[in-house]
Amino acid sequence: MSVLTPEQVSPTATDGGKRDVWWMTWFFPAWYGVFGVIICLLTRVTPPPRPDVTAAGKVAFFAQHHLTIQIGFTVLLVLLGGAAMTNGLVAYQMKRMSVGSAFAYGYLGGMSVGAIPGFLLVTVCFLTAAFRPDRNPELTSLLYDLGMLSYNGSLGCFSVAYLVLAIAILYDRNEIFPKWFAYISIWQIVTEVIATQMFVFGSGPFAWNGSIAFWLAVVVFSVWLGALIVLLRRAAAAEPVDAPALD
Amino acid sequence: MQVLEQAEELPAAGNLKAQWVSLWTGPVVGVVLLAAALAFPGFWPPMSPTWSAGQVAAFYADHTAWIRAGQVTFNLCGIMILPFFTVIVVQMKRMKGQSHVFAYCYLTALVSGATIFALSNIFFLVAAFRPERNPELVQLLNDLAWIVFIAPVGMVVSQFVLLALAIYFDDRTDPVFPRWVGHFSLIIAAAMVPAAAAAVFQTGPLAWDGIWSFWVRNGAYVAFVVVMFFVLRNTLRRQAIDEGVIAA
Amino acid sequence: MTQTDPATQLESTTLPGDINMWVMVLGDMVIFAGYFVIFMIYRSMNRQEFLHAQQHLNIAIGVTNTVILLTSSWVVALAVQAVRAGEFEKSTRLVLAGGVGGIAFMVLKGYEWASKIAAGHTNSETFYSFYYVITGVHLLHVLIGLIVLGVLVRELRNPAKRRPWMAETGATYWHMVDLLWVIIFALFYVMR
Repeated sequence: MSVLTPEQVSPTATDGGKRDVWWMTWFFPAWYGVFGVIICLLTRVTPPPRPDVTAAGKVAFFAQHHLTIQIGFTVLLVLLGGAAMTNGLVAYQMKRMSVGSAFAYGYLGGMSVGAIPGFLLVTVCFLTAAFRPDRNPELTSLLYDLGMLSYNGSLGCFSVAYLVLAIAILYDRNEIFPKWFAYISIWQIVTEVIATQMFVFGSGPFAWNGSIAFWLAVVVFSVWLGALIVLLRRAAAAEPVDAPALD
Repeated sequence: MQVLEQAEELPAAGNLKAQWVSLWTGPVVGVVLLAAALAFPGFWPPMSPTWSAGQVAAFYADHTAWIRAGQVTFNLCGIMILPFFTVIVVQMKRMKGQSHVFAYCYLTALVSGATIFALSNIFFLVAAFRPERNPELVQLLNDLAWIVFIAPVGMVVSQFVLLALAIYFDDRTDPVFPRWVGHFSLIIAAAMVPAAAAAVFQTGPLAWDGIWSFWVRNGAYVAFVVVMFFVLRNTLRRQAIDEGVIAA
Repeated sequence: MTQTDPATQLESTTLPGDINMWVMVLGDMVIFAGYFVIFMIYRSMNRQEFLHAQQHLNIAIGVTNTVILLTSSWVVALAVQAVRAGEFEKSTRLVLAGGVGGIAFMVLKGYEWASKIAAGHTNSETFYSFYYVITGVHLLHVLIGLIVLGVLVRELRNPAKRRPWMAETGATYWHMVDLLWVIIFALFYVMR
């Protein structure tokens, strides 16, 4: 066990903050960076492939990206736990708020639910599709739809997480996060509500790849995530090194 | 809950306000989910496991809009029941004379149970997404949806068992919940256990459309939520008075 | 690390209300602007279809709703003036009146939706898919606005919590809701 003090070990913790929290705080953007490469460049689920293609088209999609889907999602299977860690960090900061733990558990719960239908399902569906490229095209089509609709369409779990985060921030007197971040979280809920339309449309602005249901939502999400990364760093720096451990 | 002026700045006040808001999300979301359940054609009566692939596909084709509307609402609002249950977690942590292990196990079971429900919504919605899909595949998705919705009772049952255990372990002179809540919890758990057989039986009371697996299982769960709402409301009032946040 | 207390911030800037609420309002308007732009693009691609679908919208209800929200906004603005003047009884009544306007708006909107769906105009038509989503998101904003006004009434009733900046913040949000509706009304009901 090191005898170095936190300030000496962590060059960025000049304002204070606990060493273990800094580890997780730096992990957060690192993991999301890798996750972004996986979903955008390797597995091509973001931006999503079209809903309005035939079964043959979907088979062609899996054939075209066969290798990168397998590499990307297999790596994700190993790195899955990073989602739990990033969610746990936010829950930790929420527990430091003056409102106590109820909302932190709500956030933890909502995001944990989201990890399964929200990104594990697309991971296993696409890997299963790529597993036997010579499968009956109708079955491959099923896996494609199931993966895409679960990935883009898991709404309530994230909505409740954003809702309790927003309320907690608005009630919080310890000013862990600034109030405007509560409003950005509410925008996220709005995009989830709009995303309900993707279960109805195969094309157009409200389909899972549509300009409103997807692209606008991705812009809002990027703003939310970017803000969160910055705010987590600020919150970590503001925490006194000698604050007692949370219950 | 009218917070006393002098208690406004106390952390206890913030804590109780948070719990109070979380508690009330229960009935609000409950009403929405009830409306969605009433609107969902697949419950009135519950779809039969004995239907052929053609019948299942025809059902989805005939009722596409309402199937989607009901399940989309479940998708969007179902997990919003979580904050209500986190109040139970917070209260379990207040119980004297025990570590918080039951509370954390409860939280874990709560989250996993909710995940299973979220999964069933996705299966229903994918089944309704392309009405022109091969009927056998629609039937496959429908099977998955119903089995996942009804049969995996383990997580929810664990919640009830853990709550009962925590109550029995609680300090007898100043308990957080009255003791009968523990007994009630176990009865609800017992009522839900047989629904696991819905993964096996296609006819009879234990099939997913049967009197036990559908009506008793879901009715018991709803009854628990309703009863627990009143129990928690009383508990929060008592906590608020004890901590000097509201007037006695 | 503490934020400047909004009350002292008020003395140093001329911006009414909370800076956080302005982030919300401006950001929200940018997002809605995105929806409006996309709507306009689809409209220009399907002019005849959209014009035809638009005929079925009940412009009388649209006008009524616009008048209701504009009146409601004006009443809430009067409430803010009353708070600044220290007339808390009056301001509470005015905010409640504003809230009633919001409820009336929601009831009319619900009736409108029901009659459109009953007449067969569901989101299978492109124009109506936009209509329901955009007015639906707006309705969500009205609902949030009613919660905001409700919180405001509760605080105004509590002698320890009467703060002008709180009234200004709530009013800012409510005015935004109103402004968005005016644009929606113009785009969907009026523009030919």
